[in-house]
Amino acid sequence: MNAALAGILAYFGLGFLGIVFGKGRETAALAILAGLVSLGLWAPGFPEEVVGGPPWGIAVAGDFWALGIWGLALFLHAATLLHAWPKDQLRHALITLLVGTCLAGGISRDLFNLYVVLELSSLLSVILIAYEGRSAAVWAALRYLFLAGLGMTFYLFGLGLVYGRTGLLSLSALAQVETGDMASRIGAGFLLAGAATKTGVFLLGLWLPKAHGQAPTEVSLLLSGLVVKVGVVAIARLVEAFPLGPILLALGILTGFGGILYALRETDLKTMLGHHTVSQLGYMLLGLGVGAWEGTLMYAVAHGLFKGLLFLSAGEAVEKSGVRSIAELSGKIPRPAALGLALGSLAIVGLPPLAGFAAKGLLSLGQPLWVKTIFFSLSVGTAASFAKLIPLFRGQGTGRFGGIPLLDAGVLGLGILGLLLFPELLTLKAWAEAFSAAGLGVIAYLLLRARLPALPKLTLDHAFLAAVLTAVILGSLALVA
Amino acid sequence: MESLSGLSLAVVLAALGLWVMVSRRNLVWKLLGLGVASGGSILFLVALSHRPGVRPPILGLGPGPAADPLPQALVLTAIVIRFATLALALALVILLTEHRHTQDSRRLEEEE
Repeated sequence: MNAALAGILAYFGLGFLGIVFGKGRETAALAILAGLVSLGLWAPGFPEEVVGGPPWGIAVAGDFWALGIWGLALFLHAATLLHAWPKDQLRHALITLLVGTCLAGGISRDLFNLYVVLELSSLLSVILIAYEGRSAAVWAALRYLFLAGLGMTFYLFGLGLVYGRTGLLSLSALAQVETGDMASRIGAGFLLAGAATKTGVFLLGLWLPKAHGQAPTEVSLLLSGLVVKVGVVAIARLVEAFPLGPILLALGILTGFGGILYALRETDLKTMLGHHTVSQLGYMLLGLGVGAWEGTLMYAVAHGLFKGLLFLSAGEAVEKSGVRSIAELSGKIPRPAALGLALGSLAIVGLPPLAGFAAKGLLSLGQPLWVKTIFFSLSVGTAASFAKLIPLFRGQGTGRFGGIPLLDAGVLGLGILGLLLFPELLTLKAWAEAFSAAGLGVIAYLLLRARLPALPKLTLDHAFLAAVLTAVILGSLALVA
Repeated sequence: MESLSGLSLAVVLAALGLWVMVSRRNLVWKLLGLGVASGGSILFLVALSHRPGVRPPILGLGPGPAADPLPQALVLTAIVIRFATLALALALVILLTEHRHTQDSRRLEEEE
């Protein structure tokens, strides 16, 4: 435990030093080193302990979620640092603080501590999204801040209800006690509504595609790859403590298909990737809903890698060419970025032997047929909305590599590792399923592309209403269930 | 009784804040709504820790049962976070007003 705490403290301390002395790059590199050392010291995990001692201390545990988040965070931070090395020092210092917040979120087991981590990550993300001061990015950041603030208000109400009834804040202690009474159930509903708004669940997460799409390249990478995953971990901890499984199934299906619908119509490359972060979140919520913990974590890590790769390549292409729309970008993308886009797209669609295939396979391993069917149709939808990127896969001329090769290697490496660890995925059936989903998706895209209906434009007020309604519905569902 | 009125005031404040956030188009109004709603959530935590006949959790206030100090400690953190959120949001509104010359959320959405 001490090693993990020291790692987090080092991250925060080095982040602040980077701001004060204007040496963000160097302190970021040191912070990654410190994080790696700390991870190496506590590596297989540590049992739950209470920082500050009972009864008022904060519960932390180094379980497999913590391990996955830490690995992902350090890897993505390294890729970010490598890619954004020439950018200014203050930005690197802020990124270090953001990654440190996510590390803290990985080991936290305390309701209020999770609240602080989620809020802190929102604040830092908003600063980084609006960092370059373009008005579209500022507006996206402000919407994010509004919705995160609203979600966290619900979260505090839920926390009050649960604490008022049980007198507990530690999630593992809450998992031990009976939380079947009305106040705790409504509280759990509000907690979930808050965490879901912050994480970007469909309709509540309308801030997400624009915010991730408008952010600077390296910030998009961290937001989609890492910050969203901390929200997923928070939801996973809530599910362990409260009976929220069926609600998550419903939210997962809505999120998965809703994100794909909007992604199909989107013409802006980075915003489309943002819509896909929403849709991929659906997989993770479904995984949590059916109780596939390892599969969900694997998916979260794999998604962090391939979505990070996609955002990095897309950001590089957009920065280099100065245009954002998919149609205009065709033929203007330098080779390394085009390769990254291709590899990332194949991984997100779930083709072997990339990380997406291993994660999807692990997620549906041993699940009943209806769950597998949902996953399969989500894969078809993903392939259909990624089919429009195919013209971008051919690169023109040379360009910067930056952090792209590192993430290329990560996507490939995690996929191969998954195949080696789980030989069940090496069957002909699994491979045939993966290729047929991709094929069906491309065919569906070719058939449907001229007939896609217009979708309603979703504004900030819609998102507010959705958040309020969801909180009310989740609160009252808890009453019925 | 006191605690009950505190709790109901908290819920009323939150509802009022949410209504302002949804119904007003001006960003500063929306921010005010967020501030009031989150103020409600903070009052909710404080009111919950109050039981009839207990004294405030301050050392040296004499004998007798004290209110649960933990929610009050949590609330301090929450208030600081609220402050930071509102300050940052106002700074972003100022930036937007300079760039786009409007604080009307609907016009900002349409001009995108």
